[in-house]
Amino acid sequence: MKKILTLAVLTTALTACKKDQYYLYNDIARLQFGPPVGQLYYSPADMADTLKPYTFYYEPAAVLQDTVFFDIYAIGGTSGQDRAYTLEQVMLEGEENAVAGVHYKAFDDASLKNAYVIKAGEVHAFAPVIVLRDASLKNKSVKLQLQVKANDQFQPGEIRKLWRRVELADQLSQPAAWNSTATTYYWGKYSQVKHSFMVEQTGEKWDQDFLTEINADYALLSFWRLKLRTLLTDYNNAHPGAPLTDESGETVVFP
Amino acid sequence: MKRTYQSLAACCMLLLNACYKDHGNYEYDLAEQITVTGINSDYDKVSLVDRITLDPQVSSSDPQAEFSCWWGIYETNVQGSAPKVDTIGRTKALDYLVTQPAKGWVLVFGAKNLHTGVSKIVTARVNVITQFTRGWYVMKHSGGQTDVDLFLTPSGIAPGSDKMENVFSLVNGRKLDGSARLFGYYTNYKSDVTGMMANTKGLFILSDKDVSVVNLNTFKEIRGFSSLFYETPAVKRPGSISEGSSANYLVNDGHLHSIYSMSANVGMFGGVQLRDDNNSPYRLSDYFLTYYSGNPFFFDETSCSFVSATGTGSVLSSVTDAAGSEMPANHNNKALLFMGVRATNPYTGIALFRDKTDAGLKILSTITPENYVLKLVNDTLDAAEKLYQAQRYGLIVADESILYFSVGNEIWSRNLANGAEQLQFTVPAGETVTFIRHRKYAGSATLELPYYFNYMLIGTESGGQYKVRAFRKSSGNLNANPDFVLEGEGSVGDVIYIAPSINNYTYLNSY
Repeated sequence: MKKILTLAVLTTALTACKKDQYYLYNDIARLQFGPPVGQLYYSPADMADTLKPYTFYYEPAAVLQDTVFFDIYAIGGTSGQDRAYTLEQVMLEGEENAVAGVHYKAFDDASLKNAYVIKAGEVHAFAPVIVLRDASLKNKSVKLQLQVKANDQFQPGEIRKLWRRVELADQLSQPAAWNSTATTYYWGKYSQVKHSFMVEQTGEKWDQDFLTEINADYALLSFWRLKLRTLLTDYNNAHPGAPLTDESGETVVFP
Repeated sequence: MKRTYQSLAACCMLLLNACYKDHGNYEYDLAEQITVTGINSDYDKVSLVDRITLDPQVSSSDPQAEFSCWWGIYETNVQGSAPKVDTIGRTKALDYLVTQPAKGWVLVFGAKNLHTGVSKIVTARVNVITQFTRGWYVMKHSGGQTDVDLFLTPSGIAPGSDKMENVFSLVNGRKLDGSARLFGYYTNYKSDVTGMMANTKGLFILSDKDVSVVNLNTFKEIRGFSSLFYETPAVKRPGSISEGSSANYLVNDGHLHSIYSMSANVGMFGGVQLRDDNNSPYRLSDYFLTYYSGNPFFFDETSCSFVSATGTGSVLSSVTDAAGSEMPANHNNKALLFMGVRATNPYTGIALFRDKTDAGLKILSTITPENYVLKLVNDTLDAAEKLYQAQRYGLIVADESILYFSVGNEIWSRNLANGAEQLQFTVPAGETVTFIRHRKYAGSATLELPYYFNYMLIGTESGGQYKVRAFRKSSGNLNANPDFVLEGEGSVGDVIYIAPSINNYTYLNSY
């Protein structure tokens, strides 16, 4: 009898169960990276701009440094005062890591004292990464992984949104918009030879901005795909027996 | 026994969770019937001129009915955004000045019985029009330049006394270079003439040296040759405009350009499609075979081969031979004298060839496409047959299996089933036949009944003046006299009738 009653009571008690509320991160001020402001409430864009390739390739020789920006957000509300935040480099195992003072300006560099601040009354800022044009970038690319570091103003926010990465080079590098879809349907496998051919033959940069612009217009995308295919065919016709070949020895093709 | 009662009590505790209050509707009266009369299914209204004045009768099976009424209007044929209903009245009677731009709209009337809460919605199509949205358009040339005349049809398909001459140059301040060739009308052409990229009634005007697409509502040029391509071709020699397999195709200087119409686009044609992976040279004939949902077929005069295409491809599609085909689709050593679509179901075309080696050999072929496979059934012409000497051609599309053609000032027909040829009409001495075309506009909309037609149009030129005779036909034979004659200055290349409900499916594209 006791077993039956116990079972009945427990079963009835189950109806009292309810789903726990989400943690709102509104206990203290926290900091994390995020997508551009316009995509903040568009969940598929949550991890947009996590990785930003940058190359000095297109810049005049006189340009020795540039700035890469990442969107960063304070959560937990605004403040009436400016709030400084801290970033730090994370070393990537087995990768060519960027070196502070050589490939980028250290986050605690005196000249950047006021650069890493969430302004009073705001929750968004552009976190600058000052990249430097070191001669070594002509021959190799380096990676700078940065992450939010706790300080007296902010604790870290969501774990998966605490980091960003810059891939830095002074040679052609694969733009982020030349992604797997673009590889399959439009431009094919990336190579520096192919990329250089595209730049030289069309006079366009074929960088992140250009690819982002044409990615938004299927007709324009189709136009460039056809244009490149025609240019490559004409090149190969003009070089019988010596088709355009990339740095790994493969014949360059467009889908 | 006690254990049984205790078990039942425990079960009852659990079953109590299943109890709920019954909110069922047990009213078995007949549903209320609201009837609205006095609203037609279609209205044609001129923007900023006409009013919609209606006072419908509303009744209900509920004797205590008391109605609250409203009117709204929303846009049809919208892409990329949800149409929004604009409320234009809150009384039963409506007197509304139409201010919407010319295109299709839906008028909505709502009546709600305040006693029962039951509503009735009635809709009607409203075609908002301008002076340009109905009439016969004639593309003609004189002095090496092309323009368009508009014959207004205020009360029926026969033109009234009002004619707008040279309407293209009147609106756009210039004429097109070259001789008049071909119209193409596409109501799904994309442009931003309304402020946002949307379907536009685009009328293509092709001469042999220029092309323009105009907004039919205003006749203002949307794009000319220099803005119609992502990369403007070096040579201006438009050959054809057509629609097929989800794309628009423009042949210029013998090369194919396309717009894939099933994705967002800005109404601009892409680059030159490649003949093959080696970018071999090619030159497409001006004649083509296509219809809106079929694969398009072109004839490469360089290789004497048929080719096809898609709106998304970079390379022209190869065509192969069907079993039983009487002539190879590739490298057949023929020159194409004429080709056009005869029917869409089954998809059938007609082509006339001349052998390149034996110039005296002419072959009339019936083409039956199946995907990218062509079956050609040949009819070798005897030099004594009239078609052998033909200069102009015009197929009857869909109705009868007959090819019209001109020999000098005579218009002949040829029954494609048995080869019988028959003189249909002799144009008066001094007139030269410049074009022959079959056009048909059919339907069942009551308001359009006076405008439906089925004509063979015969265009002639004499002394710098054109005449277009509109013949009805009976079993493929022309009536003795035309229903009406369009007359003006120049020499005619093409004629098209436009009405608000005519769209890109109304006429098949063909020379």
